[in-house]
Amino acid sequence: MRTLFHQWKHRILIALAIVGPGLITAVADNDAAGVSTYSMAAATFGYQIFIVLIPMTILLAITQEIGARIAIVAEKGLADLIRERYGVRIALVMYGLLFFVNLAVVIMDVAGLKAALSLFGLNPTVFLPAIIVGLYLFVVLSSYSIVERFFLVLVAFYGTYIISAFMAKPDWATATSSLIIPHGQITPRFLYVSIAVLGTTITAWGQFFINSYVKDKHLTTEHLKYNRAEIYLGAIVTDTLTFFMMVAVAATIFANKIIVTDAAQAAIAIRPFAGNFAGILFGVGLLFAGMLGCVIVALTTAYAFSEFFGYSGSLDETFRKSKLFYTTLLIQLVIGTIVALMPNVSLFAITLAANFVNGAILPIIFYFLYEFANNEAIMGTHTNNKVQNWLLAGSAVVIIFASLLGLLGQIFGW
Amino acid sequence: MLYFAELAGKYVTSSDGKIIGRLTDFAFLATDQPLVTKLRIDTRVGHILVPISNMKSINGTITLTPGFETSGVSDNELSVKIHLLDQQIIDIKGNKVVRVNDVVIQDKPYFVIAGVDVGVLGIARWLKLEQALNRLVSGFGTSLRSDFLPWENIQPLELSRGKVQLKHEEGKLTKLAPEDLADHLERLSVKNLTKILDLLPNEYEAEVIQNLNVSRQRELLRSILPKHAAGILSLIDPDEAVDILLTLSERRRNLITPLLTEDAKKQIDYLLNLSTTDIGNLATTDYFSAEPEETAMSVRRRMKRDTTLATPLTYVFVINKKKELVGVCNLHELLLQDADVPMYKFMIPNVVAVYLTTPPEIAMKKMVKYKIYSLPIINDKRQLLGIVTIDDLVESMQEKRT
Repeated sequence: MRTLFHQWKHRILIALAIVGPGLITAVADNDAAGVSTYSMAAATFGYQIFIVLIPMTILLAITQEIGARIAIVAEKGLADLIRERYGVRIALVMYGLLFFVNLAVVIMDVAGLKAALSLFGLNPTVFLPAIIVGLYLFVVLSSYSIVERFFLVLVAFYGTYIISAFMAKPDWATATSSLIIPHGQITPRFLYVSIAVLGTTITAWGQFFINSYVKDKHLTTEHLKYNRAEIYLGAIVTDTLTFFMMVAVAATIFANKIIVTDAAQAAIAIRPFAGNFAGILFGVGLLFAGMLGCVIVALTTAYAFSEFFGYSGSLDETFRKSKLFYTTLLIQLVIGTIVALMPNVSLFAITLAANFVNGAILPIIFYFLYEFANNEAIMGTHTNNKVQNWLLAGSAVVIIFASLLGLLGQIFGW
Repeated sequence: MLYFAELAGKYVTSSDGKIIGRLTDFAFLATDQPLVTKLRIDTRVGHILVPISNMKSINGTITLTPGFETSGVSDNELSVKIHLLDQQIIDIKGNKVVRVNDVVIQDKPYFVIAGVDVGVLGIARWLKLEQALNRLVSGFGTSLRSDFLPWENIQPLELSRGKVQLKHEEGKLTKLAPEDLADHLERLSVKNLTKILDLLPNEYEAEVIQNLNVSRQRELLRSILPKHAAGILSLIDPDEAVDILLTLSERRRNLITPLLTEDAKKQIDYLLNLSTTDIGNLATTDYFSAEPEETAMSVRRRMKRDTTLATPLTYVFVINKKKELVGVCNLHELLLQDADVPMYKFMIPNVVAVYLTTPPEIAMKKMVKYKIYSLPIINDKRQLLGIVTIDDLVESMQEKRT
């Protein structure tokens, strides 16, 4: 009995030590840009859109698991491997693409943060730079484990969406059954929006981030099993949160036929139906989503930079030692803040460009994941199995199709 | 000096001009002397390995000797592409330093890996943007240099384990001592020598040149542009610079001296004027002087502030207003004094000195007799012209003997 207890204690401790990469990356996929997309989707289609949630969760779990497994086995990041196996030229192109697309996402997240601040009547010109500077200093000065705990705290704030959902008094039976039973007409507009939802969840930066972040955590192959469980769990938690977010919007805004295009509008529109408090909670969720998103996406670019060019880059290192790493992080946050604070700037153009490049870059990244995950010289006995390969290839096809359609949709205004 | 980025992808032809394939990789020995042993050529029907001895020439294309042979990989051979290029360089503690952006290969007297390029130019070379980047940067009035990491810094044994590891810790990356690098470089042709020196930072380059032997220095300064030569000479010790200048023809010397920096020119001109005699030839103006009334504390302070970069300093020469050498003291005596004691109170007024006409042998004898490491050189008015140090003197006498 005692030994059994010890065995379990041991397992639970390992499990707790492992928690982080999967959960944080997956939940960060619901960044401010994500929350806006989900709000818009649920406001337009109500419960009909829920049908994409389960397939999306599976895709997210599978792709993230492969990325993390490569990082654990090879002890190298995705960018490390691309540079070492494909040379300078391809590495530079990939870095350029990643930098561009991530910067666009950072801008969207900072803009989400700004919108959330405005919701609470806080002047963005004062508070936005203050928050960004605060976040930056915190990340620079703290060690990996403290930054990770901070991320987990931010993740906890997503709980506000669950409360908002309950306050909206939705029709739970319809909400849950919509996850499995498709209903309503499938229009091009519906396809386009589903794809936008998918595209904001499974991202290029997500693949790079989980990889570098797992490496920075120094997990070893004995952790593989726990890590896989954690990543699957992260994907489920994330999409459960998405579910509640959408429920809150579908039960109020969609039901009353109000048109919203982003999360801040949703937070306001929710109030008359679910109460002021629900609206505030929704806004708080957006605030923290923006904070988590802008830091994590900017960190991804910083990780990739130091991996591509071989400079030291780790959250555990001091500014002096990882100067280029932290500078890359800073540049993006500064650009993000400046662009978000510019009046009359069209975020629509940025979103369009970001979505397109993101869509274009994802299949390329999947190609690298496929190559690396099936290479015995890198993975030893931990190569992909057939199911994983099929799912990865399948996801690539779905996402290429999805992003192309998404792009066309945005161009022709479906 | 060859760069892998410029060689990779070159067409390989047989001696009769038929294209065999493209060069994709080199095999080399993971030793302290990393000889390049084989070329890997990708042909239309797979790849072949050809021993480097079968290579006739490298120009626009690589030409092989008639009836070249092919071979397999030996156990002790590594691949430039797999084991070196694009790999992460870590220091002895495992910290990430930078990546290998290009591999530098020395082609004479035999093919050997000279080191790796870790700079921006190494990346630009792969994109065929090296020249463009250089032009762009020179537009802003600066220049880019390759960051060259000599092979001596890398642990060859770790390479076969898939690690490019340095022998030092990152901050302490002293690179190779200039004296040692000079020894190593003396074996190269002047053309290759200039190429390697081009890769080094200016101060380091100057130090290395200072340590080359005289004939090498002469050849080198003859072959590089006067402006570059002046730049180097301005950075090295004035007495050494004069020695090097004296090995050149007068015409060449007159091309170079006007381009020296103001400071260096003054000192070098002065020493050149002295150089008509043996002692004058060895003279340097790198000495530290004080006035008789200056206090011990003031001298010590000035020494701390101004002489951090000076060559080893053994004496303080005391000079009065008429520039006459009136005394000398050594550092120990200076340290023993209270702060406010003026120099004239404790200096030794009977200075052992030599004249420009003194033969080096006599100067040597004086040094040994009085246990002095550097002698002041004075004129008939007892004005200090310069000093001659024991190391320069010994070196010159040694050279004379051989």
